[in-house]
Amino acid sequence: MTALPRRIIKETQRLMQEPVPGISAVPDESNARYFHVIVTGPEDSPFEGGLFKLELFLPEDYPMSAPKVRFITKIYHPNIDRLGRICLDILKDKWSPALQIRTVLLSIQALLSAPNPDDPLANDVAELWKVNEAEAIRNAKEWTRRYAMDN
Amino acid sequence: MGTCLCKEQQSETDITTGTHNGTTVHSISAHVPANECLDCYVAASSSGPCQKLPSYSTVDRLILDTLSIIGTLIENEQEPPPAMLQLHVIADKEDGWIQVVSSMVKVIPMNDPLGPAVITLLLDDCPLPTKESVLRLSSIFNLSAQSSVKGKSKPTQQRNICVVLGCIAEKLAGPNSIAILTQGTLNYLITNLNTDNNPSVILFSVIALEKFAQTSENKVTIKKRLEAEPTNPLMCLEKWVDSEHYVKRQVGFCAQWCLDNLFLVEGRKFSYECVDTSGINVMLNTKDVSEYLKISPNGLEARCDAYSFESVRCTFQVNSGVWYYETVVITPGVMQIGWATKESTFLNHEGYGIGDDEFSLAYDGCRRLIWHNAHNEAQSRQCWHPGDVLGCLLDLNKLEVIFYINGSPLCPCTRIFKTARSGFFAAASFMSFQQCRFNFGSEPFRFPPRDKKFQNFNDHAVLSPEDKVVLPRHIHLEQLRKLSVREDSCTLCFDKRASVRLVPCGHKGFCSSCVMQLAECPMCRATIQECAPDNT
Repeated sequence: MTALPRRIIKETQRLMQEPVPGISAVPDESNARYFHVIVTGPEDSPFEGGLFKLELFLPEDYPMSAPKVRFITKIYHPNIDRLGRICLDILKDKWSPALQIRTVLLSIQALLSAPNPDDPLANDVAELWKVNEAEAIRNAKEWTRRYAMDN
Repeated sequence: MGTCLCKEQQSETDITTGTHNGTTVHSISAHVPANECLDCYVAASSSGPCQKLPSYSTVDRLILDTLSIIGTLIENEQEPPPAMLQLHVIADKEDGWIQVVSSMVKVIPMNDPLGPAVITLLLDDCPLPTKESVLRLSSIFNLSAQSSVKGKSKPTQQRNICVVLGCIAEKLAGPNSIAILTQGTLNYLITNLNTDNNPSVILFSVIALEKFAQTSENKVTIKKRLEAEPTNPLMCLEKWVDSEHYVKRQVGFCAQWCLDNLFLVEGRKFSYECVDTSGINVMLNTKDVSEYLKISPNGLEARCDAYSFESVRCTFQVNSGVWYYETVVITPGVMQIGWATKESTFLNHEGYGIGDDEFSLAYDGCRRLIWHNAHNEAQSRQCWHPGDVLGCLLDLNKLEVIFYINGSPLCPCTRIFKTARSGFFAAASFMSFQQCRFNFGSEPFRFPPRDKKFQNFNDHAVLSPEDKVVLPRHIHLEQLRKLSVREDSCTLCFDKRASVRLVPCGHKGFCSSCVMQLAECPMCRATIQECAPDNT
């Protein structure tokens, strides 16, 4: 309950009033810095049809430092590890305070459309993605069906 | 749009302290390099799907090993113990996860101060279970009103089941949390609230209900279920809030918090509207606290039920003289209680609190360590127990801090005065499920130091009636959201007026305090050489 910065209030208001298509981000009832996020799997990707849950947390020095984001739904993706941690430069050293919750979530959605196995976080997934992309995509579809279509 | 950058992972666990134009920026990433745990994961997966599960006795032993070693883990960046890593690998498979959870329920003892915290810690680091695994688990426990009554002879297991339920409810918040709050589970938790049950079982049932209620549909379901009881069980439990039985007192605290924040009852006044704060001039500061700490309506008792390390400072600052306050330890687990200046930062999600930076000093009576700047000094004392009184004395004449346990002093500490000589607040950090009560002088001290002349905060502080109100969260957040934002405000903080233009790139729309914290333009990443006034 530290005083909530206006920046967070403003972003929250906008997320509620003009939601991003395919993405829902709802602040937690008791913690305005914690968001329950659902991203829909992009069309023409192995994640199509899935609903992926994420958690997003705005640290004390946000927007000077990046939000912390993690997949809660299991996902088969070379840049996301089994604990849901995401390998994305704008969440790390390429963060800029001009980026926002909505731009971060759009980037994550884009990462689902364009996996990057050359820069992996999940080594075994990335390896398969490189040597047998067809099988990797089959796995990703299977995981999407198994873990992300249940709700 | 961003791209992947695993190659820069090594730096992720480093604490980087950068100084930009005089403002110190701390950033600590919780991101552990994935390599090591992934290696285990890969090793486990490569052994194929027919990998045999370890025996129950092996898992039991690994859990007890983890429990016994966890209290000795004191570095924030330390590797998890091998037993814990092995459990993570086992829990990676669905059957393994069920085995680990069942084992925890069976072997974690009632009286270990870190028991519930270890359950949550282990579950937190395991991959998330699927809804199916959780439902399988519920059917193994066979939860119902009857199982609550039958379980009375085995309170330890019942308590552990409730800790597990709360943890899963929080982790799966959303549609899955609705699915796992079955009729049987809800009946079980509500029946557990009976006042003749074991208080620890009641406590963790209340906490589990609180965590299920993070999903709004569950909140409505639980509220209706509570209303359907002849008398709302939480209203009975709330009466224990001042109990001298320390587990019952925790139950009272949590029941009251739930009634004020989650399961509101028509016709019941909020606790903050009933509490008498006339003699209280210093409180825990509701504007200077990390987000999950619960503060009592009189502002003197605090509790953490989150999985983060929550911190708070008091409302009164001291700059000179000799000062003393006391805390009564309600729970025997990890709390770091002492002194901090405003510069001390609360990094609750990274596990940093009071005593973990150079601007704070604290005693942790569970691990028996004095903390300063994340270094610790072991103290040859017994672990603290519920009811023990920790006295904290700050002597700004002699420049020393002395902690007292039930009146008996520890060695004086002086190191903190290298970085700070004034601007001190009473402050504390809390691990999961920990609680203590502060006395800043509004009541007589139990163990006032005899050999020192000291002052107490309460005699010297003033609080306006508005500042004495500890508002329930939903009311507080509602008030905040009504704030509006001016059109010409800074595009980064929306707080101050945009007043500067960056040189050489020329981007504008920022205030000077935001720009002070930046090295590069937020729009184009050009290095900022200077900033020029801009009032267009």
